[in-house]
Amino acid sequence: MGWFSFNMPAVVVTVISVVIGFVMVFVFAWTSDQKAIGVAKEHLKAHLLALRLFQDQIPVVMRAYGRIVLSTGRYLKLAFKPLLFVIIPLTLLAVQVDRYLGSTPVTRGEPFLVKARIRNPDALNSASLQLPDGLSVTAPAVHVPANNEVVWRLAADKDGKYEVKVQAGDQTFSKELVVASGMPRLSSIRLRDRFWERIFVSGEPALPSNSAIDSIEVQYPARDIAFAGFGWNWIWLFFVLSLAAGFLFKSIFGIEI
Amino acid sequence: MKLLQFMMRRKRLITVAIFGLVLLCPLHSYAYAGPGAGFAVLSSFWTLFVAFLYSVYAFFAWPFRQLFRLLRRRKAYGKAQMKRAVILGFDGMDPELADRFMNEGRLPNLAKLRDTGTFRKLRTTFPAISPVAWSTFMTGVNPGKHNIYDFLARDLNHYLPYLSSAEIKGPKRNVKLGKYTIPLGGAIVKGMRRGIPFWHWLGEAGIFSSIIRVPVTFPPEKFSGVLLSGMCVPDLKGSQGTFCFCTTRKSDDKFREGGVRVPMERNGKGYRSYIPGPDHPLGTGEELRVHYEVHTNGKPNQAELVVDSEKFTLKVGEYSEWIPVKFKAGVGFGAHGICRFYLKELSPEVEVYVTPVNIDPGQPDLPISHPVTYSIYLSKLFGPYATLGLAEDTWALNEKVLDDDAFLSQCYQNHDDRERMLFDALEKTQQGLCACVFDTTDRVQHMFWRYLEEDHPAARDVPRDKRPAVIPELYTKMDALIGRVMQQIDEQTLLMVVSDHGFKSFARCVNLNAWLHQNGYLALKDGKTESGDWFEDVDWSKTRAYTMGLNGLYLNIKGREREGIVDPGAAAALKEELRSKLDGLLDPASGRVGITGVFDCDAVYAGPYVDNAPDLIVGYGDGYRASWDSVMGKVTAQIFEDNLKAWSGDHCIDPRLVPGVLFCNRKIAEEKPAIVDVAPTILKMFGLALPGHFDGKPWTVAAT
Repeated sequence: MGWFSFNMPAVVVTVISVVIGFVMVFVFAWTSDQKAIGVAKEHLKAHLLALRLFQDQIPVVMRAYGRIVLSTGRYLKLAFKPLLFVIIPLTLLAVQVDRYLGSTPVTRGEPFLVKARIRNPDALNSASLQLPDGLSVTAPAVHVPANNEVVWRLAADKDGKYEVKVQAGDQTFSKELVVASGMPRLSSIRLRDRFWERIFVSGEPALPSNSAIDSIEVQYPARDIAFAGFGWNWIWLFFVLSLAAGFLFKSIFGIEI
Repeated sequence: MKLLQFMMRRKRLITVAIFGLVLLCPLHSYAYAGPGAGFAVLSSFWTLFVAFLYSVYAFFAWPFRQLFRLLRRRKAYGKAQMKRAVILGFDGMDPELADRFMNEGRLPNLAKLRDTGTFRKLRTTFPAISPVAWSTFMTGVNPGKHNIYDFLARDLNHYLPYLSSAEIKGPKRNVKLGKYTIPLGGAIVKGMRRGIPFWHWLGEAGIFSSIIRVPVTFPPEKFSGVLLSGMCVPDLKGSQGTFCFCTTRKSDDKFREGGVRVPMERNGKGYRSYIPGPDHPLGTGEELRVHYEVHTNGKPNQAELVVDSEKFTLKVGEYSEWIPVKFKAGVGFGAHGICRFYLKELSPEVEVYVTPVNIDPGQPDLPISHPVTYSIYLSKLFGPYATLGLAEDTWALNEKVLDDDAFLSQCYQNHDDRERMLFDALEKTQQGLCACVFDTTDRVQHMFWRYLEEDHPAARDVPRDKRPAVIPELYTKMDALIGRVMQQIDEQTLLMVVSDHGFKSFARCVNLNAWLHQNGYLALKDGKTESGDWFEDVDWSKTRAYTMGLNGLYLNIKGREREGIVDPGAAAALKEELRSKLDGLLDPASGRVGITGVFDCDAVYAGPYVDNAPDLIVGYGDGYRASWDSVMGKVTAQIFEDNLKAWSGDHCIDPRLVPGVLFCNRKIAEEKPAIVDVAPTILKMFGLALPGHFDGKPWTVAAT
């Protein structure tokens, strides 16, 4: 492993970051008041210089600091207008990318947990798990009455896309489970109701409203992306790389951010 | 449809709701919305963090700084009679006009100062020229001690002029590489003014000063305070202002001085031209240029200007904003400037006037402020501004490239910038000295005096009822400025309004070189009856006296000038002879006196730099001044002629005829104050001891 470790997730994040950096810089340019942003930034710098130029005069220094705070507010206000245009598509994009890069799939032989939250505490003890071929339970189920949860520890014999079924009372619901390597699309939880939460964390159809089960979750391991000698969560890597790309493109195209 | 209407009505509410929803609902990691937001948040945080640290540092370091001052015996304000001094310099404000307009009720604020404080004529320097007078103002000494006698000084070897206030030279070391000369280091700027400005002494005592655009402060000197240089700051070409006139009209005419004509050529659907810049820094002998294009955009009287791929809108009869231009000379070499474009005509021909390229205050290639960051600070706070010493382009109006309105508009745009700087300095200098010089008064009076007179030669073609009241309006504007300043100051603040000289008509030109020639003091080469610029056809071996610049008359002294013939022992007699002949010189056309006094510099000046002074100072009469040709060392056949240029008022005459003004918000006892007294008076009022070399005497100023 050198300081830069070549792997597919890192390449994907890099490509996404550069493209997003490029697109967002232009979206920012088109949707923002470039002149006003330029002026706001210049004022900020002027007040910073005032701190240095008039350092012996405490009232001037204090006034300059107050103006820095005000100018920062003005600058942020101007910068947030373009944010309104990009935040929704970018958030949805991030959600989708997270399905692929946020976690790694379960691997053969490695134990993992499946957790079901039961709506009715009385049904907690009767909750059971039905597994397809290739999956097996490696430990007795653990009941956590305080959280209305049942947790099973499983292991997989072979790669594949499975459906585990959880029965509570007379109802049975399934949850997708992926055993693989690489970057398959993963949904770690299946939820009942909770529309907004489902948008952001679940990639599966909702459990019915009258379901006795609140959620079924597979605890996939978090993905660490090797980049420049460090292990990164994809969102942090995206943050750093897209900022770098944005900085590069804004300088090339003379765009005020 | 109803939903759409509802959404339109509640647009702001819905926007905020969506924004809030998206921000609040997702996991925190999704709140990052691209590099725009990232930069905004990161840079804001960083700014606040740095600012906070610095203000904490300033707050806690302040007592130690005060202690340090005490240890160095710099107890500021200990004996001060005031907390703050505000000096407004109105270059060229005339006491007679001020008095007249006050009596007419036009200047209520100046009248208030006169009635409750002081109004006096302020004796000026010999000669009454701005760089001379302002140098005396700031140093408290006569020109013999500060070495400034005119805008120009003479080279004794070549009888050629050079700028008297500053010298700009290339770097000391260069490396020759083929046809290139690679400079090792930056340009060297050397100030020629001697003497120490009084704000230096204030700084030594721990009193802060904000000095804005006082003439002859280029290059800026270190002291405790901030300073923006004024008159004598060059443009990017190194001149005192060279405008550029780009036109599709064919002409071989050259401007007398101050500007260049550049052809504008059709280029596809638009027009292409260039702005001449400084010489190539690698010594190739080429001139750097910035090319630009003008495209018609289909709108009447409007065009698109493209400079360095940036687009700007130009309207006929209006100035553009300040536009940055970079003269590129290869990697690592270039010069940053700013200029304004003025679209004079779009059809049938295209004509564009470009102001002299000013040093960009936001990234100055030469030092124009102390500290260097002060010009940058002002640029960031108020946007780009004129940095050229003579920022108002009088040459362009003289040459009829600009008309009256365009020139006036340029003057007042610069003036408005200066006002903003003044009020910022006032706010920042609650204790100490705040001095700001406004040039508008000088430039506007120079160029519009013709409308103030009944029969000025330069205004004879303008009917009396069409002559604008430019100068009365100028004084009214300055009075309003004083009113706003008075609102900003308290009783502990001393307010002074001073001018370096007054103004008089310049209706008739005197070519003193022609007089010297006709009276046998200046000889021309055989067969010549006139001489071109800078004594082109003068026979120095037979010449005893000559003049260049505005008021100086020089003897051609053996051992001093390269081809001098006047024995130093005979100089005094020759000076007396010239004095007696020139003093009272009559204009045969009008019967008026063209020269009212000729002053021997040995009697007028004292100090270590007297040797650099002219031998005689010529004081022209009211209505007269050195001719344009005479100033440039030209010898003509005519001694007297009408002045037909827009530059129609002047002050480079007998200094006794053009005193400046002194207004003060406190009573001043002296009946005949002089500009040389300002520096000692301010030092005394701040309770400081006066340096022994001062020529000025402090005034007796009432406590409140």
